[in-house]
Amino acid sequence: MNNSFLRVSIWVYLVIFFLYLLGPLVIMSVTAFNSSAFPRMTPWECLTFQWFGELFQDQRILNGIKNSLIIGAGTVVLSVAMGLAGALMLTQIWPKLRATYYTIIIAPILIPGVVLGISTLVFWDRINRMLGLGADSVLSNGIFLTVIGQSTFIASYCMLVLVARLQRYDVALTEAALDLGATHAQAFRKILLPFMRPAIASAAVLAFLASFENYNTTTFTFGEYPTLTIELAQKVRYGITPAISALAFIIVALTVFFALLNEAKLKRQELVAAARKKATVEELAGKIKLPSFFAGNMAAVLLVVFAVATITVVGTATAYNPGQCIANVKEQKRLEAEQRIQELRKQREEQRKKREAEEAQQGGAQQSAPKPSNNSGFGNVFAPNTLGGDTEEESSEPETPPSNNGGFGGAFDPNSLQTDQ
Amino acid sequence: MSAGVGVDLENLWIRFGDFVAVRDANVNINGGDFFSFLGPSGCGKTTILRAVSGFLDPSEGRVLIGGNDMRGIGPNKRPTALIFQNLALFPLMKVWENITFSMEIKGASASQRRKRADELLDMIALPGQGDKLPSELSGGQRQRVAIARALCAEPDVLLLDEPLSALDLKLRQHMRTELREIQQRVGITFIYITHDQGEALTMSDNIAVMRAGVIDQIADGKTIYNDPNTAFAASFVGENNVFRGKIKQVMGNEAMIATNRSGDLVARISTANQGKLQEGDDAMLFIRPEAFSIAADGATGDHFVTARVTHEEFEGNVYNIFTEGEGGKEIKVSLPNLGQSFEDHTGQNITLEYETRNAVLVPAGELAAE
Amino acid sequence: MPRFLKDFFNRNGFGMGLAILGLVLFWTVGLIILPQLSMLDFSFRPNLPPPEIGGPKDVYTLENYKYLIYGPEGGSQAYNAVDLRVFFRTLLAAVCVTIFNLILCYPIAYYLGQSKGSHIRIFAIMLIIPYWINEILRAFALRIIFGETGVLNTLFVGLGIWDTPFDFIRNDIALYAGLGYAYILLMIFPMYNVIESLDGNQIEAARDLGAPWWRIHWRVVIPYAKPGISSGCTMVFMLSAGALAAPQILGGPSSLWFTQLIYQQFNDNNDWPQGAAYAIVLLVTCILFVLAMMRLFKVNMGDIGK
Repeated sequence: MNNSFLRVSIWVYLVIFFLYLLGPLVIMSVTAFNSSAFPRMTPWECLTFQWFGELFQDQRILNGIKNSLIIGAGTVVLSVAMGLAGALMLTQIWPKLRATYYTIIIAPILIPGVVLGISTLVFWDRINRMLGLGADSVLSNGIFLTVIGQSTFIASYCMLVLVARLQRYDVALTEAALDLGATHAQAFRKILLPFMRPAIASAAVLAFLASFENYNTTTFTFGEYPTLTIELAQKVRYGITPAISALAFIIVALTVFFALLNEAKLKRQELVAAARKKATVEELAGKIKLPSFFAGNMAAVLLVVFAVATITVVGTATAYNPGQCIANVKEQKRLEAEQRIQELRKQREEQRKKREAEEAQQGGAQQSAPKPSNNSGFGNVFAPNTLGGDTEEESSEPETPPSNNGGFGGAFDPNSLQTDQ
Repeated sequence: MSAGVGVDLENLWIRFGDFVAVRDANVNINGGDFFSFLGPSGCGKTTILRAVSGFLDPSEGRVLIGGNDMRGIGPNKRPTALIFQNLALFPLMKVWENITFSMEIKGASASQRRKRADELLDMIALPGQGDKLPSELSGGQRQRVAIARALCAEPDVLLLDEPLSALDLKLRQHMRTELREIQQRVGITFIYITHDQGEALTMSDNIAVMRAGVIDQIADGKTIYNDPNTAFAASFVGENNVFRGKIKQVMGNEAMIATNRSGDLVARISTANQGKLQEGDDAMLFIRPEAFSIAADGATGDHFVTARVTHEEFEGNVYNIFTEGEGGKEIKVSLPNLGQSFEDHTGQNITLEYETRNAVLVPAGELAAE
Repeated sequence: MPRFLKDFFNRNGFGMGLAILGLVLFWTVGLIILPQLSMLDFSFRPNLPPPEIGGPKDVYTLENYKYLIYGPEGGSQAYNAVDLRVFFRTLLAAVCVTIFNLILCYPIAYYLGQSKGSHIRIFAIMLIIPYWINEILRAFALRIIFGETGVLNTLFVGLGIWDTPFDFIRNDIALYAGLGYAYILLMIFPMYNVIESLDGNQIEAARDLGAPWWRIHWRVVIPYAKPGISSGCTMVFMLSAGALAAPQILGGPSSLWFTQLIYQQFNDNNDWPQGAAYAIVLLVTCILFVLAMMRLFKVNMGDIGK
């Protein structure tokens, strides 16, 4: 009993943990499809793709993506090269220097990003001055500084990835190649590099992602070339819109896609290797019967499901027009607001009449007005001042729509709003 | 086979910091020979091989291949090919690509390479296996692919660094024969590194016995086995019973030794030490287990040893008797199994007899570790 | 040529050796050591306009460090209470985030490390995916959740648990959740790596000897996983203390993070030497703190990054 209790609690814990981990991403992605101007999941207004359109018209975002790609490419090249050289050096350095050397190349991982950004900025500024170059020289160029600053620590990550594989490399392989007549460069290119290729690919992906999402270092070095992350940070700090959610959704979708693709590929390689083991000599020389792509490969199946879902969503997006729904919501909000104003007016009118009547009757005055019992639920709480306000509903203060369309059921059927109202 | 290219080591010293790995090695290897360096691990034999193949520079002395000084010539420029202890087959290349890697470096076309690979695969009795990956082969097959890869480079000298050590016993014995056959077929010089005396004795034309960086003896297998130069060579190659003592009297090529525990015994002085061992020198007498026979009880003399049998075992081809001589001296006797009946001597005293020519005297020295 | 270099070039060839050596020197000296030294040097200089740099006024001074402790000269207070409070609060909060992360992640790392089966790979992917999403977007996601009209408030108020929305941001809950969220993977991964290599038989043996589960962890798993735990804690602490994005997006208006002060010195006050001095203080304090903790828990530097 104790055992099963533990097992259940572990699973409950796992669920809570992954909710914490993935929940925010899911919620953020969902808000990209809500027509509400403030990114939110509830109350649900209308299914819309307008934020994607808005995203792709935002010049600053597009420019940021361009800068991020350029800087990412530079960082990948520089940090993978330095990481590989650093890893090779680590495997052959004089033992007495090894510990010191390791501490130096691992330190950038632990140094706060802002410190790296500042030191890069300060150092290259000084070099620039020493060389007597102007403020517009290459050395003070935002792209150069950002690539340099990011590579400082990203190379350490690459080094860790590469050295893990390098430790399994048999130096005798290089020696064998040399012995068979290869030059050092040929041995490197034909033997070591192919062996390291999976790790280099991992390191490159890691380097690109780290560069793409880096903020702390870049914020000091970007100069005239703000990256996507910098632009996002500006946007998030000074007013948030669902267009950011839309971007987030795209990134999440791409990430999931590539993660599944990678997983499917790995699984595939395993299956192929297993098939080769079983194959006869004749089959190896000619055509080897490989298992079909989906056999025993759950990731591949998921990948296809995911791709189909994406195509469906894109298809829907091009065909779907939420204008009617948005208009409905607008209209409904306007109606609600009007109704409230009407009620308010009526109450005031009544009060006035009452007062007049009371004044007429008693000559005394009762100033207190009964509160308008207008809104259901928490509308009161969020929007105490909207009473009598204008009908513009796209403010960040929610005009609570009827509670029946708060859930998904109604959300995906724009017409249900109509029929209910 | 004078066609092959010889290798000479002249006053070769190799040091790593303070450690001397090879001390003044002088070796002449004839072209077309199968030459072995035999010694325990750490004796410097692999270091010599790496100096020949060009992976490290000698601290002093010269390496000559075909009479040419190899100083300053990198491993990729030397007419040698090395077969590594772990074979070092390229794991990501198919078998045929592995074999013809040296041609790829020279820019040969794929079809040429394919053709050559097929020839070599036939030679090593792996026809049609070219499209496998090395990991898909068995240990013996990998072994042969490594040989083919080295031969494809058409080296003048093939260097082999304990290539059989990873194989199981049966396969190892089979590969010995095969290696020897291949060597005789291609006719190039083989330099073979091993710690297994069986491999060295069965395959080699000549053997160098190494101990702690020093070459003790260079000779053919029979000589090394029957006429060792040093105590180390005598004890490392094959099994041997050792008797320590002082030379009592030198009689031409024979001598009388006063052993510490088994009385005075007579023996032949090993060829290299004839004229050098003097009366009063510390010496060691080596008698192989199979050189003993059981004498009639009570026989005494300078080629008899008495001992008490502690236990006996039957090994199939031989019958081993373990005895304890005077003062606890252990002596092993192996009698060939010729179908005769053996009586159990355990606990009894027996007298062992040997012929003088089968007992070898060398100066006292370091013995090989068990 | 020293023997090491000679061997190095022998082994790698001259061209390749030169390329490797050049890249390593550029990285270690040009990108790591010199910039840090340069920043250290800079932090001891006064804030001068560019033409005066290198001039007679460009002398070493402790002003920038004094400022952190005593505030502006002739200021009304004896100490720079605002900055110092931010500094210590940052360190304390980073410690709290680290402990929170450790407690949160240990069970997961243990579970992943000791379970077998293909679902572990799926869990691993689920762990890694959030880490591939932009740092800013992750903070943004949490802001959607913790905002005044965010998911949590809507939910709780809607359920009637609270009657007014709770201000997660002003109370720094959003910030701590965001910092913890950002570095989960860095905590789990080192621990997972170590725990995975722990022989399950040891746990079985302890259980067989009648140890309750908490004692198994206390006496067997945790001592074994110590390098991983210290590695994870070090990284999370350093990164939390040095975080900038999460405090900017999730921090309340009144609660500054020390990195934000550095950022202000650079970008708003344009006082680079002052910012450099603050950065040095942050770096040195964090390193000393980590080293002290390592000594306290008896772990080696070499374990970090494994």
